[in-house]
Amino acid sequence: MKFLLLAAGLMWGGLVLAAPVLAQDAGPQHPGRAVVLSKCFQCHTDAMFRDQRQDRRAWEATIYRMVGRGALWTPEEIKVMADYLGAEYGTAAKPAASPR
Amino acid sequence: MRELVARYLSHSISRRGFVNGLTKAGLTATAAQSVLGAVTSVSLAQGAGTTTTPYTPQGNATAPVPYLPHDADAPARAPSAIAGVKPFQGTGGAAFAEQLIACGVKYVFGNSASEDAQFYEALVDRPQLKYVLTPHEGPGAAMAAGYIKASGEPAVVMQAGVVGMVNAMGQIFNAWKEQTPLVVYSYRTDQSRRAGRDGFEEVANQEQLAQPITKYTWLARRPDMIPETVRRAFKAAWTPPFGPAYISWHSDYNDDRVRTDIIAQQQFDPRMRVRPNPDEVTSAAKLLVEARMPLLIVGDEIYKAKAAGMAVKLAELLGMPVTQVRQLYANFPETHPLWVGNTPAANLASLTFPKNPDVVINVGNKFQHNGAAPIVPRGPKFIDMRIDFASMGNVMLTEVPLVADVALGLDDLYGAVEQLMTPALKAKAHERAAEVRKFAEQARTLRALVVNNPEWDNSPLIADRVTYEIAKFSDPDAIIVHEAGSVAMHSFDFDPRGGRELFFYYGSHLGSGVGTAAGVKLARPNQQVICLVGDGSFIFGPTALWNMARLELPVIVVVYNNHAYSGPHSRVVANVPSGRMVQTGQFVHDYLGNPDMNMADIARGFGVNGEVVETPAQLREALARARAHTVDGKPYLLDVQVARRGVGWAEKPWVPPIRLAEIRQKRV
Repeated sequence: MKFLLLAAGLMWGGLVLAAPVLAQDAGPQHPGRAVVLSKCFQCHTDAMFRDQRQDRRAWEATIYRMVGRGALWTPEEIKVMADYLGAEYGTAAKPAASPR
Repeated sequence: MRELVARYLSHSISRRGFVNGLTKAGLTATAAQSVLGAVTSVSLAQGAGTTTTPYTPQGNATAPVPYLPHDADAPARAPSAIAGVKPFQGTGGAAFAEQLIACGVKYVFGNSASEDAQFYEALVDRPQLKYVLTPHEGPGAAMAAGYIKASGEPAVVMQAGVVGMVNAMGQIFNAWKEQTPLVVYSYRTDQSRRAGRDGFEEVANQEQLAQPITKYTWLARRPDMIPETVRRAFKAAWTPPFGPAYISWHSDYNDDRVRTDIIAQQQFDPRMRVRPNPDEVTSAAKLLVEARMPLLIVGDEIYKAKAAGMAVKLAELLGMPVTQVRQLYANFPETHPLWVGNTPAANLASLTFPKNPDVVINVGNKFQHNGAAPIVPRGPKFIDMRIDFASMGNVMLTEVPLVADVALGLDDLYGAVEQLMTPALKAKAHERAAEVRKFAEQARTLRALVVNNPEWDNSPLIADRVTYEIAKFSDPDAIIVHEAGSVAMHSFDFDPRGGRELFFYYGSHLGSGVGTAAGVKLARPNQQVICLVGDGSFIFGPTALWNMARLELPVIVVVYNNHAYSGPHSRVVANVPSGRMVQTGQFVHDYLGNPDMNMADIARGFGVNGEVVETPAQLREALARARAHTVDGKPYLLDVQVARRGVGWAEKPWVPPIRLAEIRQKRV
């Protein structure tokens, strides 16, 4: 539970991976969730999402920072990811439980 | 005549035979005797350690001990009859200077030390060897490394015994990781006749401090061996794969009188340029032409060998996509249609394209593995072309090793591939190139979206805006020295074939950026040099600003000042997710504000003009002023206020409560 390291590199190596815990109790899944799962977890663990609480605009800015780092996402993908993260990990979302 | 001299010096003919040979060659008897005298003095010098006065302590304990009897009236030694060999008589310090000149050194980067007095004395009459006084050994060594990397020419770092040496060791470490041929000297503070008594600044076996982070470490055992020791260091450092070397000797050797030979670089340089094994080249070529989707990873050996053009040719021949994982330099033109971008997360799986290459060829990349997973995963056939054979096969399975100077290796491989290219294979490569080109065009469009960040016009600025403005501002052949670890480089379109160049860092001993930029400018006076540095890095090594001011090195220094260590902050959060630090906002290790450091004020203290920048509009105006300064030969510094971004940052970060005012009882 502590680390849910998900790197596509491991998939390439043929390892079986667990799915990240990412707002699984949000009812019908937001279309942005799948995009976040497929785009972000190549480089990040879910710690970033568990511990970050900010509004949609700030999430959008976060995503664009990744563009500066070489992430290749379309404007539509960026929008849907920002929508999802702003809704599920906004300032009003409850903080993550301590892993310890 | 040269052969006669060589035979005489090697004792294969007698004196009489030598003189007879000279007269037969047409010399008069008088001239032959004169040549004999000159050559005999060379012969004596060559055998100085064994045939002349042995080292014996004499006089009082603090007086310089002459290695050879000092005879001021002795006739000057005759010039050598052997090309590249110069008989020398003088102090050990002067012999050191002479050998540096013979090694091709133009600049000495040093910090003052009284034990090097005879070396300084020797410089007075040797203006071709220029001493750059660096007020801290770390940035001084970085300056030397920057000069070496940008010029491809040798330089030397020297500093006081252990005390200066340990200051330079951070940059020796960087040179070790980056494979820079940095030669470092420091004397042993103890003199040879009182060593081992825990004297002033004495540490036993000081050379061992540097041993794990150098290619070669050596001590001169006698004062006349100073030039030989220097030669060994330069040979080791500059024989590929490059790396730093450290040399040392007892400080009194610099004062001693010596007879020795100074030998020109070309007489001892092995000039190692290795072509790859032809059988392996054939195997590699076969794998590449038969591949469905080959992928080329480029690395720093390409830049060092000036082989970027050859890498482009090979990629074009095969229609092969190209990427790079973390390196110092940009080794492939980033606007080329086969360039698919840097690998974002240091393993090939993080590439958007190609997703499943079946053959991967690495040319010149040492591969910095910062995780357990290999950068090149098990699966694709892997071809590894490098001169750094020692690190081959350590992590990745290597189908075809090609140990070579990559310029020669690429040349051979290109020839082998070309021979195998049938019309059908050419059509396949052409088709693949079209696929890669389509992706590359789309990728360029998507990368340009960085300007759509909703915080683009914010103040304080976001780091990406700063980078973008500088990229637009920089000359087409600007050199970007980058030591802003948390800042992503984008928009520069680097091209090692004459476009913008990148000098990043690989070793991560902080404080290298400003010194490196100073050294780069010294080496490349006709190119714009811009130093991008984080505030955390900057404050480790600002003293090179003083060198910029004194030497009039017109560098533009841009400090991304977010008053924090952003990298350590983010990595700590990743290491302890959802922990107490995140919950309370109490991070003890990362906030550099309260009070905020003003880097422009610091620069002014070193004689460099600068200003604080808070908005995008101010940045453009400030860059124009920076250009005006550099055109006028002056450095300039911009302290750009940058926003802190990432998990757990507060508007006013918590500061550990250490308050002396609450416990002090006397107002003193």
